[in-house]
Amino acid sequence: MEVEPKKASKTFPVKPKLKPKPRTPSGKTPESKYWSSFKTTHPLDNLAFSVPSLAFSPSPPHLLAAAHSATVSLFSPHRTTLSPTHTISSFSDVVSSLSFRSDGQLLAASDLSGLIQVFDVRSRTPLRRLRSHARPVRFVRYPVLDKLHLVSGGDDALVKYWDVAGESVVSELRGHKDYVRCGDCSPADANCFVTGSYDHVVKLWDVRVRDGNRAATEVNHGSPVQDVIFLPSGSLVATAGGNSVKIWDLIGGGRMVYSMESHNKTVTSICVGTMGAQQSGEEGVQLRILSVGLDGYMKVFDYSRMKVTHSMRFPAPLLSIGFSPDSNVRAIGTSNGILYVGKRKAKENAEGGANGILGLGSVEEPRRRVLKPSFYRYFHRGQSEKPSEGDYLVMRPKKVKLAEHDKLLKKFQHKNALISVLGGNDPEKVVAVMEELVARRALLKCVLNLDADDLGLLLTFLHKNSTVPRYSSLLLGLAKKVIDLRLEDIRASDALKGHIRNLKRSVDEEIRIQEGLQEIQGMVSPLLRIAGRR
Amino acid sequence: MIRGGKSYVSSPPAFSNDAKRLLVCTGNTVSVFSTSTGLQMGSLEGHVALVTSVIVVPAPSPAGRILCYCWTASLDGTIRYWDFSTPELMKTVDVRLPIFSMVIPSLLSQQNESSEKASDVFAYISVENIRAQETQPKALRGQVRKCNLTKSSLAGGVTLKETKKPEYITISSSGEFFGILDKQKLHIWKVPEIESERVVLKRIDLHHTKKFTVFAFHPTQRIVAAGDVTGRILIWRGFGKRTFSMGDGQANGRSINFDEDKPGVRGNDDADNCSTWHWHPHEVNCLVFSSDGAYIYSGGREGVLVVWQIDTGKKKFLPRIGSPLLYFVDSPDPSLASISCADNQIHLLKMPAMEMLKSISGIKLPFSPPEAVSSLCSGCIFDQKAGVVALHTENYGIQFYSLFDDHAISEVQVCERNHQPGNEITVVVTQLALSVDGSFMSTVEVRLPEEDIGGLVCLKFWTSDSQDKHFRLLTVIYEPHRDSDISAVAFRPTQLMAVTSSFGGDFKTWVCGNEIQKGEVQNTGWTCYAVGSYKKRPMTAATFSADGSVLAVAAETVITLWDPDRNILVAIIGDAFTPIKTLSFLGQSGYIVSASRGSRPQLSVWSLSKLSKLWSYSLQIEAVTCLGDPSTFAVLALLPKLATESQGMALGGRDGAILAFDVNKPDPMAVWSVRKAEGGALAFLQGSPSRENFTQGKTSRGLLAFVNGDHEYVLFDPYSDEATEHGVAHRKGLVSEETEKYGYSSVYGELQEFNHERNQTAEIIIAPSEKPWATLFSGSSQTLPPLTKLCSAFLESLLEKRTAVVE
Repeated sequence: MEVEPKKASKTFPVKPKLKPKPRTPSGKTPESKYWSSFKTTHPLDNLAFSVPSLAFSPSPPHLLAAAHSATVSLFSPHRTTLSPTHTISSFSDVVSSLSFRSDGQLLAASDLSGLIQVFDVRSRTPLRRLRSHARPVRFVRYPVLDKLHLVSGGDDALVKYWDVAGESVVSELRGHKDYVRCGDCSPADANCFVTGSYDHVVKLWDVRVRDGNRAATEVNHGSPVQDVIFLPSGSLVATAGGNSVKIWDLIGGGRMVYSMESHNKTVTSICVGTMGAQQSGEEGVQLRILSVGLDGYMKVFDYSRMKVTHSMRFPAPLLSIGFSPDSNVRAIGTSNGILYVGKRKAKENAEGGANGILGLGSVEEPRRRVLKPSFYRYFHRGQSEKPSEGDYLVMRPKKVKLAEHDKLLKKFQHKNALISVLGGNDPEKVVAVMEELVARRALLKCVLNLDADDLGLLLTFLHKNSTVPRYSSLLLGLAKKVIDLRLEDIRASDALKGHIRNLKRSVDEEIRIQEGLQEIQGMVSPLLRIAGRR
Repeated sequence: MIRGGKSYVSSPPAFSNDAKRLLVCTGNTVSVFSTSTGLQMGSLEGHVALVTSVIVVPAPSPAGRILCYCWTASLDGTIRYWDFSTPELMKTVDVRLPIFSMVIPSLLSQQNESSEKASDVFAYISVENIRAQETQPKALRGQVRKCNLTKSSLAGGVTLKETKKPEYITISSSGEFFGILDKQKLHIWKVPEIESERVVLKRIDLHHTKKFTVFAFHPTQRIVAAGDVTGRILIWRGFGKRTFSMGDGQANGRSINFDEDKPGVRGNDDADNCSTWHWHPHEVNCLVFSSDGAYIYSGGREGVLVVWQIDTGKKKFLPRIGSPLLYFVDSPDPSLASISCADNQIHLLKMPAMEMLKSISGIKLPFSPPEAVSSLCSGCIFDQKAGVVALHTENYGIQFYSLFDDHAISEVQVCERNHQPGNEITVVVTQLALSVDGSFMSTVEVRLPEEDIGGLVCLKFWTSDSQDKHFRLLTVIYEPHRDSDISAVAFRPTQLMAVTSSFGGDFKTWVCGNEIQKGEVQNTGWTCYAVGSYKKRPMTAATFSADGSVLAVAAETVITLWDPDRNILVAIIGDAFTPIKTLSFLGQSGYIVSASRGSRPQLSVWSLSKLSKLWSYSLQIEAVTCLGDPSTFAVLALLPKLATESQGMALGGRDGAILAFDVNKPDPMAVWSVRKAEGGALAFLQGSPSRENFTQGKTSRGLLAFVNGDHEYVLFDPYSDEATEHGVAHRKGLVSEETEKYGYSSVYGELQEFNHERNQTAEIIIAPSEKPWATLFSGSSQTLPPLTKLCSAFLESLLEKRTAVVE
């Protein structure tokens, strides 16, 4: 319903030429916006040793446990400053794997001496010590639906199913032919888990099968398996090994669904990340696979569309990744002891809101004073009122904000426009104004009319920018014209001579560069021709 | 057959009496537009040549505002009288001389003598004397004559003035004076009070040193203003006092008073004084007094409407209209006026504020690009499915014009610049291409360098989501072929691919990337896909075959055929004498038509299966189009100069021909000769204008559209012999009129009607009160009349009243 009066003509401010946009739409899609909203305020870099394992507690407040060297540090990730709240250091060797129990009260940790310890998270005292592996243990996991058992695997190629209370091995599963490096328990079934090994094979075990050496299903990843996880549905498994992450359908008999190969080096760790959990409830949750590799990249893979939706680079090889169950914290551990813990801002707002609700009783709403005609604000009342749905809006015509040079161009004061834009330090705008002046057939007249100071300004600009490839087609020609037109004035002034010397120097340099480039072209073009002939 | 694309600005328009309609002369017809919506409501069809004047019969009283009668005059030598509310022809007066202008003074002055119906209506017409010899160099071909409209005859023997060519007659708004311009002279006649055929009209002349372009009369006073070619406006006050008053039979003692002080008045001219205003840098095209006589509106080539206050000479401006102004027309509604611009647009202005309310835009007229790029410029482009033509406009844009509906659809501003008429053109949109489905457009613009610096070629890709042709910019590519100019742009019919060929010796194919976002396909932009060249020869034309499998690029005189997907040269055919200008595939068939211009023009048909020439003609070809049948095509050929000169009379000014060919036979199947073929375009439109119009028996196979050099067009069925004229289908139908208030009611609202009857009944209802004295003393004491006066009234009220019923 807004009728704008038709204008006879519009005002077109001079615009610099557009720059080509990067092909990858970085930071543009809502997806990448979401993933880059995990802000790493300061990376934690005092760990000094590599971080091979990270674990988030499944129960709030979702403590983060990080293993580094022979220590496990516990973090409360929602604090503003990130520093270990507690450390557990009752290990004799390097800690290799961590796992919280489903209620978050116990933490299992394995180390390279072959020992598995179960700690109480509150008191951090070792409650049980499980020793049976003869070689370093590489992974330990609590089942999702079971609080009594543990799964572990190690360099002795054995997978063990423990009864934690009795510190005893319930079943020992032999089947892998190389180091067992990883494993995960099914979120759907308490008795099933998968393990991955350096023999390229991922096996699905069921503890109810008495024959302890035969796996229920097995798939071949094709390279040493570094990490394996169940996807939340329980029917799909993602495996990481070599440069690829593969998704397998276990119910469909171990069929490979997709192979994501966008890492350049070995993928070391994968986990499931969620998107949009808070905003739109359960239906809006979108699941992604987050993978990190030795190439320093974290990739976000949307396995419903089979597409990498975001990619992020870190300055070190990455070893482990964790994503908090409330999808507010993402932690990445590197090989040089830096822990990147990214937190989302939204969480703090939500917390603030919660605090507000809690503190409602104490905080009094400021009493609004009744406006009287004697107040100054009385006359401004209602001016900031927002229009409601059905209101008829009378729009004020938008005022076009014009830069100084645009105003001058509108008044046909071409020389002043050129001087005004030369005074600023945006070469793109200067070139745009010059192009507009060319279109008005006024540039050379402007150059003729410039006085000595402004001519110096123009020569300085030409010296700085005439060899920039984006502008050179216009500016080199202009520089020549300027010298031709104002030869007498330049001869008369020493300052202007200085500018000309500078200009000459930059042109000489440019000529040298061009010669060098031509030499290279001469070398490359025969090669290209030979390559093209094949 | 559909004709359209007429100029809306060939002569001044006229407002109807209620100012709700605007009558515009459009070629042979007068179109009636609604001023509230700007859409066409109907047309008056009957004249067979250009209509030059339209005069609405003014209403004698406000009640008569709904009367819709008008007089029109045309070059076909007839004056017609219409009722334009129903479009109905009521009367025809045939004068047998082409009428260039007509005024009817009695219409304007008839208010006071409405009783005298008997008097005849006379019109003064400016006609061309076709009997005067053309060969005679000094022949006076223009005549101002008188015509009795009531008796339908030319007033015998009355020729007021003879001029070299017919001049435009201007009349004062009171109908008292009229006049014409003749070079540096201004002739003014006074209309006699009692009109008859033989009455002698008095004339005065006013002189100037420059050629006049336009003049106007003051509505009430004896002031006349005239504009000249240098942009000066001259104002004579008190003209004709001497001459005209003499005729009124008054004292003429002062008439021979030569030594009277007459500042500014030249020689013996009959005026009190003359003053000059000068603002316009170019000639003044329109000059009108406001209806109250306090202001003058003037406009000229620079596209600025200037409002002068007559008493003080102060100016107000409506700048940046963007095109030379031709006419300014005031309407009976004081808040509405119209200006006609040279770019075939009529703007309706909201008056005191001079805001543009609506624009009625016709087809854009052709303009001549600067010499340097005129060879690069392509003509108009057709969207063959939608029946839309895309034309270059002078203000760096593209206009989309519906050929079926004969109205403009939209305009796209290609370069973000304002066009100032009269300035040197330095930026030109040279090339234009539309994809087959009409959803993509590609434009090439060239910025001309100033003394070899700052030139730029820019390729732009546009997209529109819907059929309404509102394009948005998708990709800008600066210098697509370094600094060399682009000779052709074409889209691939089947895929999102385009090709540009350049005189720099290479061609590039461009593809559009897609990305699916939120379930819908988003175009991410166009990128270069491949580059090709042939012996470094300039590429002069490029096109894709209908199925998109072959790309043909003309490398000067030969045609190179490429596989567009793999960018491999497939074959080379042909050898023309001069560079090939146009290439076109014939539908799905394996034939290609090439046309070259220059000193040895040639039209050739090549067979792709045999890679050889079938046949060729030596003809100047303007346009080639493939007809619906795959093996037939039509070309627009310019007739050789010699032929047109020798047979000039026989052809009747026709300088071109549309030839329809079958590929297999070099003999044309059909020939239509046309006017103004140079700069014309030809296309075969697959759609049909409207279902209703074409349900008469046959199914339409499509229409051939010919747009001539003046952008007038005609659509016809090339397969049918009958030249049946179909009126332009106004799909919009008649525009419903809104009743709009103006004048007093627009400010204060409708006056309430006084209902006298009700007042009378109300009086009757009032019954005498029981105690009339009770109200007698109410009120404060100081307002009461003195007691002595009240006493009698009081006593009277105490008396018992006899009711009227008893009587």
